[in-house]
Amino acid sequence: MKKGQKLPYAEKHFSLWLVGAAAMHVFVLFLALYFQLWDADRHQKPKIVTVTLVSSAGSGASSENSLQEGAAGAVVAPSRAVPPPPVSKKSVKEPVPLPVPKKLPVIARKIAVEPPKPKDVEKKPDINQALLRLKQNVDKKTAQLPKPSATNLSSALDQLQQKVKSEVAGTGTGTGSGRGQASSSSGRNGVGKGYGGRGTADSYKAQIASIIQQNWAFSKQLLKNSYGMEVYVRINIAADGTIRQILYDKRAPSEYLNNSVKKALERSSPLPVLSKEEAGGDVWIGFVFTPEGIE
Amino acid sequence: MLDSRLGIFGLISDAGVVVLMVLSVLLSFSIISWAIIAYKFGYLRKSLRESKAFLDYFFEVHNIDKIFTESENFRYGSLPRVFRSGYIEYRALGDKGDMRHAKARIARAVKREVNAENKRLSTLVPFLATVGNTAPFIGLFGTVWGIMTSFHTIGLTQSASLAAVAPGISEALIATAAGLAAAIPAVIAYNSFTNKIGVIERDLEEFSPEFVAAFINEP
Repeated sequence: MKKGQKLPYAEKHFSLWLVGAAAMHVFVLFLALYFQLWDADRHQKPKIVTVTLVSSAGSGASSENSLQEGAAGAVVAPSRAVPPPPVSKKSVKEPVPLPVPKKLPVIARKIAVEPPKPKDVEKKPDINQALLRLKQNVDKKTAQLPKPSATNLSSALDQLQQKVKSEVAGTGTGTGSGRGQASSSSGRNGVGKGYGGRGTADSYKAQIASIIQQNWAFSKQLLKNSYGMEVYVRINIAADGTIRQILYDKRAPSEYLNNSVKKALERSSPLPVLSKEEAGGDVWIGFVFTPEGIE
Repeated sequence: MLDSRLGIFGLISDAGVVVLMVLSVLLSFSIISWAIIAYKFGYLRKSLRESKAFLDYFFEVHNIDKIFTESENFRYGSLPRVFRSGYIEYRALGDKGDMRHAKARIARAVKREVNAENKRLSTLVPFLATVGNTAPFIGLFGTVWGIMTSFHTIGLTQSASLAAVAPGISEALIATAAGLAAAIPAVIAYNSFTNKIGVIERDLEEFSPEFVAAFINEP
């Protein structure tokens, strides 16, 4: 009996919730509808543009029909153009001054907007004049300068030879002889040992540089950035040509470049045997490795 | 005819009869599900809260008459209901000399009320499971039907451009979206309610013998 009394209460309670849920759904649907309308109104500007285009196209096509039917909108423009002839002569005088003041401000604005262009045009002659002046100045200066001759060239060569001599005097024994043979870099003239030795070292250095270059497996394209990609390396070469020590004076930011240099040097060892002059001890030779090659 | 500004509603207005039927079924499912969710949420919450309060009072006070009077204040609690049914049976016993017979009768009354309470707790909850399981499929049916008809229309128009295909598919997919929208809350609520009902059922099984013992051992 009690169950019978409770169940209708529960059912009533549930039916209330049912109505509430239906109301909630209706509310949510209306809210969604309102939101979509609101969202559509926000992006309505392009539609206005298309409508005006359609109306302008229609006005040209139906100008005659529209006059007959008396339609509004696009018909208004031609109807205004038509009435002036039928209107009496008094009205003809009035519209004439009206368009003139309307056009004037437009021209004035255009002039106001475009001032930079005339300024540029005015500057051009100044630049040309300045260039002419510069040319004239340069011509005058070149005229004043002495013309190059064979005597000038010979004096310049003498100056260079004197400089070379002074270097040899600083590094070598200081005898001052052997000036003509020094440039041959053979090192067998017996005079000026320092200079002659340097000549052999340069050739030896070029020789091992080419060997190292051949053994250097490096691709420039693998580097992301070539800025600062320099490796300064010194190698200690023993008398038999083996590389005893590799010293990095400056490492590149790329470990790929550093490792490739190290591998190239390891592959190149042993290098050619040192010359007789250098055979007494070890030799330190420095190289600069860049992505472009060995310097 | 609704214009394109209405988005989903515009698509629904252009949908076929079957898709509209599917959508109306899903809408009704959703309404009923939410009604059940709201109703059961309040009912189970009250039942749990009142059962806990009643148990506290039951272990504090040892006078059965007082407990019964207090249980009248807990209208939604499952445990107070079970206790009341046992008390009514206990008071209905004319001859209390035969303790075995009295205990059996009280235990039977309590058991019957526990069963009734279990049924009452789980009423309407299976509908949530049904909605959770079937609504996506009903929505899928609407989608399949919608795509089928849209492809048929594409075949008739002999145009396979995206502009011809997309509106039909978009319209059809609304049914799946509606099915998921109905099913997801129903599944969540079903799991939550099943958990709460399980808690109450365990309490009923655990404390029913305690109630019977309290009636029998009453001085």
